Amino acid sequence: MKEILESVRKDPSYLNLWSAYKKIQALNLPAPEDETNTIRLAVIGSTTLEPLAACFDVKTRLEGFHVETFVGGFNTYRQEVLDKTSDLYKIKPDVVVLSVDAWSILDKMFLANFVRMSIKERQAVQKELAESVLSVISNLESNTSSLILVNNFVVPVFTPFGIVDNKQKVGMKRFFEGANEILADKLEKSSRVFLVDLDNLASSFGKSRITNWNSWYRGSIPFSDDFTPILADEYIRYVLALKGRTKKCIVLDLDNTLWGGIIGEDGIEGIKLGNTAPGIEYVEFQRSLLSLYNRGIILAVCSKNNPDDALRVFREHPSQVLKEEHFAALRINWQNKAANIEELAKEINIGLDSMVFLDDNPIERAQVSQVHPEVLVVDMPKNPRLYREMIENLNVFDVLSLTSEDMARGEMYVGKRKRTELEQSATSIEDFLRTLELEVRINEVTDFDTPRVVQLIGKTNQFNLTTRRYTNAEVSEFRKSNDAIVYSMAVHDKFGDEGVVGVAIVKKKDHDWWIDSFLMSCRVIGRSVETAFLAKIVADARKAHATRIIGEYVPTKKNPPASDLYQRHGFGMPVTSDDNVTNWILNLDEHSIDVPEWIELTEE
Amino acid sequence: MTDLDTKLLDILTRVFRIERNEIKDDLKRKDFEPWDSMAHLMLISEVENEFEIFFEDEEVVDIWTVADLKKILKQKVSP
Repeated sequence: MKEILESVRKDPSYLNLWSAYKKIQALNLPAPEDETNTIRLAVIGSTTLEPLAACFDVKTRLEGFHVETFVGGFNTYRQEVLDKTSDLYKIKPDVVVLSVDAWSILDKMFLANFVRMSIKERQAVQKELAESVLSVISNLESNTSSLILVNNFVVPVFTPFGIVDNKQKVGMKRFFEGANEILADKLEKSSRVFLVDLDNLASSFGKSRITNWNSWYRGSIPFSDDFTPILADEYIRYVLALKGRTKKCIVLDLDNTLWGGIIGEDGIEGIKLGNTAPGIEYVEFQRSLLSLYNRGIILAVCSKNNPDDALRVFREHPSQVLKEEHFAALRINWQNKAANIEELAKEINIGLDSMVFLDDNPIERAQVSQVHPEVLVVDMPKNPRLYREMIENLNVFDVLSLTSEDMARGEMYVGKRKRTELEQSATSIEDFLRTLELEVRINEVTDFDTPRVVQLIGKTNQFNLTTRRYTNAEVSEFRKSNDAIVYSMAVHDKFGDEGVVGVAIVKKKDHDWWIDSFLMSCRVIGRSVETAFLAKIVADARKAHATRIIGEYVPTKKNPPASDLYQRHGFGMPVTSDDNVTNWILNLDEHSIDVPEWIELTEE
Repeated sequence: MTDLDTKLLDILTRVFRIERNEIKDDLKRKDFEPWDSMAHLMLISEVENEFEIFFEDEEVVDIWTVADLKKILKQKVSP
């Protein structure tokens, strides 16, 4: 298996991907034991989709997952979706791709007759087209709990109206664009159905090359050799976002990366950075970075320079877009970059595997990727005019939903830096916490907070006691159940509002309350808010006449920060089962947990 | 072995997932399980792309052995 994947990693061509898929299928592997690392895929639709499924399957394996794939039959997607006993549902897919060609739904004479159709007729057909796909989606939604990826329609290049297509109220292009818009409108609110912008992807690739007409007429294969792997890559973005494998932070070099030239030699007037050439390419690169910052990507600096020289550019250069306040942490010194990056990860409190490193110098890049293989070290183009295109095509920052916490993350890190400064001046930790004016709000999760809670469950690694990744559907089930409670915790202090940063899922069994999940964003580690959170759960359990609270702990590579949570709050009698779950018990007759005096707890 | 033979062998090994020495001229589509209709399509399309030629539908149907494929390919690429 390793061998097969290594050879396709070297040359991920269509034929190699397909060949690897066939080889892996022939191995008849037993079902994987590690469920958390397993993904079940299904690809269904109106055409021959085995090649697309093969590319998607193998590319998912290249990301380190165990994969099982179901490929739907030729144009049998409706039966597969409607029949609850079909093979599609037997594999219990985590991700379903629905790829329906508009022309398979439209009347055979649609193209021929389009010009003769009235506007009203065209609009009616357009609505039927979109609704035909939407009805399949709604059945899929009610029969599975999977993530559903739906290709939108490719807007055709040809129109019988020629250059006056857009002089028609509903020309050929507007017909398809309109159908896509109906799909987008109807699916906008869904947290499980995602409209994959196939039309945009096809445009970017070149619509004339997305289909090989020989393969299409011979075997109804919709996408060409070169385009199929690219479409699979697009699906991989959703898989990585679903599994929380998202990059969160960009670490930037300065000289010849954020600006042209070397500040220590060329001076502030000499570096290339301005609103005209030379230097505009750097300004535009910085604007792209700022757009990512504004949606929640953390920025940091790692540069070999004299700090005063470099900081002067941030403070005084009129064309510098990114300022000190945009960076969560800076390392401007002569230390080696691998060591600096390790320090940055600690200071920002994120894993090295959520970092991206951008540096023009291939030697620095090699050093960092050798020491920290988990950091994504980008092979930067030599030409700075291509930096912007590079960052815009990186596609590693995807999340399935953007919350208000995401948008404000940058400001939160400024608060964090100020907090650190205060911590350094305080004489004791209690003294520091007392001056923070901490306010914590804990309640059963509301509809409004659910997307954020699901997001935290999906991506929190460090302060996460069991790392159980529940989907939106599963969280909704817990909320409905009388035997479970899903709590959320929001934190506020004098430096700012952190929003919802903690989640706990409690399951009630007889007189025991089991803490199935307990997790907290790394941003609030060290502020004793976890104590307040446990205190609230204890108080609620007492009110419900529970006798014991049982806290579960599953160790992972990343969660040592959470390992002693139960122990330091008075839980005892740890018992570790065969599947590596340790249960810690708190007897409510004997123990209690109080809210720290420096925290003001609000409950709703 | 000519350049054409090497390129063709390379495609055949990847499409059928077998070693070079297992590929014989008398390998038959109907007795060789990996040579199913999907593999046949894949093979034809890869050969078309590699040698910048194209097959008529009748030709595609009439390729039953590796020898058949070689014969028709040689006809098409020789000037």
